[in-house]
Amino acid sequence: MSELYTLAEAAMKVIQDRRSIRSFTEEPVSEEHIQMILEAARQAPSGENAQPWRFIVVRDAETRKRLGAIGGGGSGRRFTAEFVTKKMQERFAGLQDEEKKKAAFEKLTSGNVSAFLADAPVDIVVCGRKNVWDLPYDTSAAIENMLLMVTALGLGACWVIAPCIDVRDEERLHKLLQVPDDIKIVSIIAVGHPTRPHRPRPRLALHELVYNEVWGTPYYKEEA
Amino acid sequence: MTRENVPSDYANSVIYEIQKAFWDERGNGARFRLTTVGREYFADRCLSRIHGESVAEIVKGIGKALAEEGITTGLSHEEEDRLVRLKIPGCRHQSVERRFIAAGAEPLMCVPANLVVLAVEAVLKRPAEIAEIKVGEEGCEVTLVLFEPRPDL
Repeated sequence: MSELYTLAEAAMKVIQDRRSIRSFTEEPVSEEHIQMILEAARQAPSGENAQPWRFIVVRDAETRKRLGAIGGGGSGRRFTAEFVTKKMQERFAGLQDEEKKKAAFEKLTSGNVSAFLADAPVDIVVCGRKNVWDLPYDTSAAIENMLLMVTALGLGACWVIAPCIDVRDEERLHKLLQVPDDIKIVSIIAVGHPTRPHRPRPRLALHELVYNEVWGTPYYKEEA
Repeated sequence: MTRENVPSDYANSVIYEIQKAFWDERGNGARFRLTTVGREYFADRCLSRIHGESVAEIVKGIGKALAEEGITTGLSHEEEDRLVRLKIPGCRHQSVERRFIAAGAEPLMCVPANLVVLAVEAVLKRPAEIAEIKVGEEGCEVTLVLFEPRPDL
């Protein structure tokens, strides 16, 4: 039985149903769905209506494999550095299950946490023109629109920054994808059909996030 | 590269303020945008002084370049598996790192360590990452992690 929602309810449901999906079936993403995702991106707000976003749709398996290698390599380096300095252990100190903790360390330090770009049926590389003022914010708005459309379509996606954080990796992406120097590569969005449903990740309560008029004054009189 | 002298306190205050601007914009992620700083200096002054394919030869060559130009008073290292611990006494840029620590943040960058990382990547063809920058009384201690060679793209 189909459910009926108001527009606001439907919007909130899509927002709340979005997950970061890193495991996909082999089913391809249809061109119709790709077009809807790109159209959602195109409708995002941007400073001065500059629309600095540009997109590269990557389906080629060999290119995806290389994107996965760059993303996994970058994540592996950074997380290994965090691990050897014991900062990762501090970050996970609250996790009591030693097996889960060990698995998390392995997933992070190996870079596997970002290498799945190779396995997604399609990777959408989000780029931005540098000759605007608000490139990171504009492109981030476009990315969130994409993720929400992906969710509305019943697909899954993950916003992956790992291949672009470090200048060295971003340079390798530029070379691989033949992106000119006046264009920044912001992120890669892996898109596909999820292999399984994912539970929501915890979110901080609103009373921990919102202040009234000035920083530090609680907005909520009671816990929201 | 010009040989004109620039006062160290002027240069360091400008370097600090530029790094601080990065940090204000990107937070801890700023450090990953600074990993190639020193690349021109490395190509111009350091690469030709490295005469062997080992971490020891790399440290020796870069240490010599830095000491001759008065940027540090030395550069030494210890290796432990994939970790390389650099000791960098007398670095002219140390005040930049100290200002970050005083501001409650971790140092974002160490140019001598960047040079070693660039050399490891160029000479040994191995990815490397700066894991930690510590500032002590006798100089800085920087921990690097070396990784296996990456596949060709």
